[in-house]
Amino acid sequence: MSAPAAARRRLPRRRVPAGPISLLAGAIVWELIGHLAGASFFPPLSTVIGRLAGMVTSGEIFASLADSLLNLVLGFAVSLAGGLLVGVAMGRFRKVEAALGVYVYALLTAPSLVFAPIFFSLLGEGRGSIVAVVVMYAMFVMIINTASAIQSVPGHLVEMARSYGASETQILLRVMLPAAAPMIMAGVRLGVGRAVTGMINGEMFIAVVGLGRIVTQAGGRFDGAGVLAILLVIIAVALGAVALVQAVDRKITGWVPQTSRGH
Amino acid sequence: MIEVRGLGKSYIGQDGGVVQALQDVDLTVADNEFLTVLGPSGCGKTTLLKAIAGLIPWNEGDIFIDGSPVRGPGPERSMVFQNFALLPWATVLENVAFGLQMRGVGKTERIERARALIETVGLGEFETKRPGELSGGMQQRVGIARALAVQPSVLLMDEPFGAVDEQTRRLLQEELLSIWEEHRLTVVFITHSMEEAVLLGDRVVLMSARPGRISEIVPVPLTRPRSSDVGALERSGKYVEITAYLWDRLRDMHEERRPAKAGR
Repeated sequence: MSAPAAARRRLPRRRVPAGPISLLAGAIVWELIGHLAGASFFPPLSTVIGRLAGMVTSGEIFASLADSLLNLVLGFAVSLAGGLLVGVAMGRFRKVEAALGVYVYALLTAPSLVFAPIFFSLLGEGRGSIVAVVVMYAMFVMIINTASAIQSVPGHLVEMARSYGASETQILLRVMLPAAAPMIMAGVRLGVGRAVTGMINGEMFIAVVGLGRIVTQAGGRFDGAGVLAILLVIIAVALGAVALVQAVDRKITGWVPQTSRGH
Repeated sequence: MIEVRGLGKSYIGQDGGVVQALQDVDLTVADNEFLTVLGPSGCGKTTLLKAIAGLIPWNEGDIFIDGSPVRGPGPERSMVFQNFALLPWATVLENVAFGLQMRGVGKTERIERARALIETVGLGEFETKRPGELSGGMQQRVGIARALAVQPSVLLMDEPFGAVDEQTRRLLQEELLSIWEEHRLTVVFITHSMEEAVLLGDRVVLMSARPGRISEIVPVPLTRPRSSDVGALERSGKYVEITAYLWDRLRDMHEERRPAKAGR
């Protein structure tokens, strides 16, 4: 009898769900401050959720959400393809790195929204401009991570492959990319978060469409609850996208020992 | 047959000076010979092996395998690496089949051949494991199986047992001897252990450092097969004598390189 009792006493402590508890605490703090402050732009959580429920039942949010998600997916896909392509080229060839490195680092650190007016004038106020902004936000971190991932592939693995007569393509596909995958995926995780930021900024700044349009309109009406309701949706989109990337990551890099994982 | 003729390799060192890694190396390795190469660190023994493997360029001289000059890696040679050089994401089976895959052998055949080699090195139950789940000794067994899977006539081994513990090392030495006795391969085996050099080799090539060159080639007239009773062999007078001689020579080399002391 005493053994199971001891086990029961030990188990709950290990299974404390830190994530949900933290969220609950955050919600309570938000609710309290919202009530106490009484500021129109910081309503309590319950008001925000009520506003969100209203948007969902009226259906006004769905078209915008779909619009935004399409921008996100397009922009992220372009960023991923460009990030891998340019990153691998920079990682493999010193000349490419020397030629492109300065631009990549400049554009990584430059505030991406600065380019919005340029896209606006070049691509018009359609989807193209927003996708371009998403790419500006998301691609460069993926390029840099991919390039360093390829550069840090252990030389002895490449030498081993060469000793078996592997071609350059085989070395890239069978040795370098798999070896670089964990670090590349770390860049993709960063990139997807930045893509969501790019999406919302692009939508708010350039063409007023998607979730960004609702935020802009709500802001214009001094509708604090509306702004925060959309913020919740954006956070959900971001977390969903990151979770998706993490699932892919686990599939690709399951071989990395748990102890050397960064999370 | 491996022929190394007047091989020289130099490179610009970190201080800007020219480092002579290899100088005037002449060496002939007969078919099915087990040749061990022994020397202090920095004597260029790994450089010599990698040159024979076709993995690095050199400045002077030539290397021929069965009469044709070495221009790069070739299908008749395969290499076993000191740090195993296994793909950490691939299973034992995939690792052993890797060389065959690079050489365009079809999937069914390469799995069949890899499985046979995995049995040879005694890793039958570990086929689906990844290198991270194996001990160092088991990892090097995978490395040896991968090298043998491509059916080479020349096996190049770069201090293959340098990174495993002493007991595992002895087991691997015995296993390598019996594999060699069965497969009849030409082996060039780099080591820094005198005992290992004598136990395995038909001849021991003794190299000295700065510049890296062959100082002496010592024949090992111990009977074969040796895998059956390594213990008796190690107690034999000849074994002890050759090992002691090699140590004398190596110690001289270390003495020469030691800074001169006052009063000497």
